[in-house]
Amino acid sequence: MNKRRPLWDSWKRSRTRRPGSRPHMIYLAIGFPPAAKSSTYRMRATANQFAAAGWDVTVVTIADEAWERDYGLDHTLVAGVDPRVRVVKLPLFREDLETDVRAYTERRALAHNDYLTELREQHLKVFPEPVFGGWRPALEEAVLQLHRERPAELLVTTCVPYVNLAATWKLWETHRVPYVVDFRDGWSVDVINGGEAFTRDSVSGRWETKLLTHAVAIWNVNEPISRWYRERYPDLAHKMRIVRNGYDAASIPAESIPAPADRPLNFGYLGALNLPVPLLDAVLQGWRKARAEDPALTDATFEVRGHIGSGWARGDNRHAELLKAAADDGVVVGGSVPKAEVVDFYTRWDVVVLMVTGGKYMTSGKVYEYMATGLPVVSAHEAEHDASTLLSTYPLWTGAVGLEPDDLAGAFRRAADMARNADVAERDKARVEARQYAREEQLIPAVREVTELVLGVGGPAGTAPGSAAGARVLAREGGS
Amino acid sequence: MIEVLVVLGAVPARVAVLTDALAQFRALGVTVRIATTFDPVEKIPAVTGLAEVHQLSTTAQLGPRFGRMVKRANPARRPWLRAQRDPWIRRHAKRADVLVALDAKALHTVWQLAQRHRRADAVHGIAPALQAVRKRSVDPARYRRHRLSTIAPSPTVLTSATRSQTIDLAKRVFDLSTGKRAMKLAPVRWFWHQAVTAPGVPERLRGMAARRVNRSMRRAGHRDSANRLALAAQRRMRSVAAKGQVLGPMVEAELKQGTLPEHLKTVVKGQLQMADGHLKKRRSGQAAEHVVRAFDLMFHRNLHFDGLTSPLAADPAGFLAPLLKSEVGKALATPQGRRTQAEFPPANRPHRMLFFTGINDNFIGPILDRYKATPGVEVRRLNLVEESIRPVLGNGRMRLTRHRLAGSSEHARKVQEAWGADVAWADTIFVDWCNLAAAMLTMIDPGSARVIIRLHSFEAFTWWPHLTDWSRVDDLVFVSEHLRDLALAAVPRLRAPEGPRTHVIANAMDLYRYVLPKPSAEARFTLGLVGLSAVAKDPRWALEVLRELRRRDDRYRLKLIGDELRTSLGPGVARYAAELAADLAELEPAGAVVRTGRTEDVPGALTDVGVILSTSVRESFHCGLVEGAASGAVPVVRDWPFFAGRPHGARTLFPGDWVVSTPAEAAQRILDVTASEETWREAGGAAASHVLGTWDWSVTHKDFDRLVLEPPAGTN
Repeated sequence: MNKRRPLWDSWKRSRTRRPGSRPHMIYLAIGFPPAAKSSTYRMRATANQFAAAGWDVTVVTIADEAWERDYGLDHTLVAGVDPRVRVVKLPLFREDLETDVRAYTERRALAHNDYLTELREQHLKVFPEPVFGGWRPALEEAVLQLHRERPAELLVTTCVPYVNLAATWKLWETHRVPYVVDFRDGWSVDVINGGEAFTRDSVSGRWETKLLTHAVAIWNVNEPISRWYRERYPDLAHKMRIVRNGYDAASIPAESIPAPADRPLNFGYLGALNLPVPLLDAVLQGWRKARAEDPALTDATFEVRGHIGSGWARGDNRHAELLKAAADDGVVVGGSVPKAEVVDFYTRWDVVVLMVTGGKYMTSGKVYEYMATGLPVVSAHEAEHDASTLLSTYPLWTGAVGLEPDDLAGAFRRAADMARNADVAERDKARVEARQYAREEQLIPAVREVTELVLGVGGPAGTAPGSAAGARVLAREGGS
Repeated sequence: MIEVLVVLGAVPARVAVLTDALAQFRALGVTVRIATTFDPVEKIPAVTGLAEVHQLSTTAQLGPRFGRMVKRANPARRPWLRAQRDPWIRRHAKRADVLVALDAKALHTVWQLAQRHRRADAVHGIAPALQAVRKRSVDPARYRRHRLSTIAPSPTVLTSATRSQTIDLAKRVFDLSTGKRAMKLAPVRWFWHQAVTAPGVPERLRGMAARRVNRSMRRAGHRDSANRLALAAQRRMRSVAAKGQVLGPMVEAELKQGTLPEHLKTVVKGQLQMADGHLKKRRSGQAAEHVVRAFDLMFHRNLHFDGLTSPLAADPAGFLAPLLKSEVGKALATPQGRRTQAEFPPANRPHRMLFFTGINDNFIGPILDRYKATPGVEVRRLNLVEESIRPVLGNGRMRLTRHRLAGSSEHARKVQEAWGADVAWADTIFVDWCNLAAAMLTMIDPGSARVIIRLHSFEAFTWWPHLTDWSRVDDLVFVSEHLRDLALAAVPRLRAPEGPRTHVIANAMDLYRYVLPKPSAEARFTLGLVGLSAVAKDPRWALEVLRELRRRDDRYRLKLIGDELRTSLGPGVARYAAELAADLAELEPAGAVVRTGRTEDVPGALTDVGVILSTSVRESFHCGLVEGAASGAVPVVRDWPFFAGRPHGARTLFPGDWVVSTPAEAAQRILDVTASEETWREAGGAAASHVLGTWDWSVTHKDFDRLVLEPPAGTN
């Protein structure tokens, strides 16, 4: 790589930033707007906060067409991106989600599943991530190129995909660019089933260890995941910080009022439908039962909005089938909702249903938004779940009853009662309770801390960056 | 109007989703036609009203020549071969704007159509199809203009068609010249022998040709030529898998004839190597098929049950080494463990015992009766032949193998559904016989229940102990020490730290029902042998003893009690039965041998038997002998050859003076003990008191009680 670098490029690299100019940061954020992914809001807010903190942010993501195959696009998200943020879209696509048969080789057409298996195996040879591992060379080349064009003083990487870590490491290895790992749901922790996803001596384990060892800061989305990492890497505990997902104030209605008695209740779910099928089935059974038994739920609707499946299976999977079969029970299915229209849905709904997989390590971003609406929340997840921890102080919560349809039916009935009877004062109290989880509240201190760590106290307006080695590191407990 | 042609290669799992999409197409004013590889009226009736549905021409409609060609073709190409010959699909593909493959099996057909009709969009899945239609609706003018590149079939498809036709021709020539008819001609056989054994032939080609020619020669009745070819071809091969495939038919034929094949190990290794290859690529289903084939060869009944020897008994570790050392063997041996340790039930409620019954309850009766009558014990039976249970056991060996290789399976969930409630109820689960039910039970986590399995004898010569997850078994009961030795040598993971505790407890036998008077002193000249239905009982050895005796005193006779050998079981059994019949033809007319056949009244049949024999080559315990001894007959036991000379066997199980090595020794013992009525009655009485005081259920139940009613050592 360095052999081919032109002379002027080397000169640019060694150049120090002029005092007073904005420092440059590369943000590896695959899923950045307009991608309609659940993590996209966090990415947008992160880029915006760094820009607001004085950084020139260059976001690296993948081409819009790639998201058309995946979870789709939401162009309304782009409006909320700070205009100073530069977005570089790499022409990387998930071959496994290709649906144009003309783009297939005859071999793939003949043995599609074998092709996918081999594809994953090939990716794993490049980086230990079966779907995205093959993107490693392109990502590495991209960050090096961006650094050559304009030297970066910080790289922030957010996973998934974990292959971002390879590019992060490349820039650290070749140019010693300090980096932050926004690990969100972590890697070595299995947030769905609990426990260890891989050992420290596995290929993934070795990648994780070396990346975290040299990171300036490591962010996670909740305390259980952060604790997992503090216990796994006690020497690095001082770098760990919880940066919760939080909610976007623009998605929250101005007020929450009780449902009038003269119209049926509207329940709603918003989010990608990548839940385990038994979970969705249990919720629909519970709904059916509650609706059949409780007169308060007669004619009530349950609107499910979100993306179902991807690639060739988009709209054609077991989830879709279950939801269609529940049409007679007042279940209304729609596609994903543009971010700008989310507020309308919360205004229309009387109760929100939190369907989320995983257990004690899983929070989901949706819970913060649900809490901020001040609407009654029906929980459909394991009782031992991080969402339960958050909701435990929320006054309009039906409780974590587990995933038995009978218990869920009870939760739907309780929520119906709250929807009619919880007064405005109670709702306002609930909204105030959630205010601490505004996305900015979560990100601003974390961004400030990283800025100080990398650039020294005073941030971009202060002295030009010294060495990362001299950066002050904060000892954190992990509480936010 | 936009026209959509959908191809279905398999019955859709979610018909509701398809019908919904068809309604959406209809709303967009689109004409949808659906081609299926199956009968749509029968399989997807809901769809037939929403679109024009057509089943692709079937093999029966396309004639026998097509049938042969389809058989030769890669299964993934078959839908296209049918579509290619179907005028309906050709006509509509030409007009279609969007070609849709709804499943992976339809992909190749749509790919081929897309190469020929390049104007159309070709997509995989319902949502992409709707998207393509919407795109066309938005800008129809764009799609009306034909671009040069879309007006003729793609050059790829022309090349591909020529290539496949050439290959097809070559295949037909090969098939003809290597078929059964051709192999009837000696020069053709000679030619192919030379061809497949010629130096420098690529191994894959040599293997393929050798297998085909070998099979055809056998079908043409030229077995010797086939064997010579297989042996010569395998010498030129390096891969054990390839050698195994070529030698397979020869080895299988030898096994069927009841002989121990010289190349058995190579063929077994070959199957296991192929299984390892699949397992490495995480294709546990395909790996399981090879493992099961290896099982069929290694544990063939002619090797272990229908002869007087067994390579497994002779050298368990050596014989099973290919399996135990293979990757699939290691995967089968991987313990899944249990979430919680077995818990002994609290004293304040009944001890709940679950017995698996129904398939072979010959030895479980007294145990069940005892615990049903024991205060503080609640007994439940899980009847394996019940309608609701039987489907779970269906195709059990293959499902188990797949499960053990993959580490999980959908079938385990079904077992959990069928048995879970009983397993959750039980404190102790007792499974008599270490076979399918026992192995299947270990597919699921037993929770806090304690699992006890009893292995009698035949199971040690089968695949079942290798398919059982021993980390989910707490106690393994044997009926004798020598069976424990054999099982531990054959299944090394029984000795692993996570393996079960092992115990030896004799069969539950009510021996007092055999204690009847022997009124006649002449009974001492009657030798008895109970149970003849297996070659392993070796009644011919008894005839040799009889001949020895009759040389000195022709008052001796032999009474054979039990079913005859079932010759249909295989040539080994038939051969032995024929030899036995010849012996009997000589001895029976003289009154030296009497056959009673099967009788329900064994105690009565033993009243005129003075000497009870055990002539078997292997036994786990031999209840028939012990019952005879309880009747007062003097026991004479052959030192069972499978275990003779080992640390444990007949000599350690029974008093030393009962056991003999040769027919001559047996005859001498009989002559000694039957010399007078007194010596005979004294020896018979001593033997009766020994067996009644050692193995009657009134004595042995204490061992059972200790096992099931007391907490195991080291637990509370």
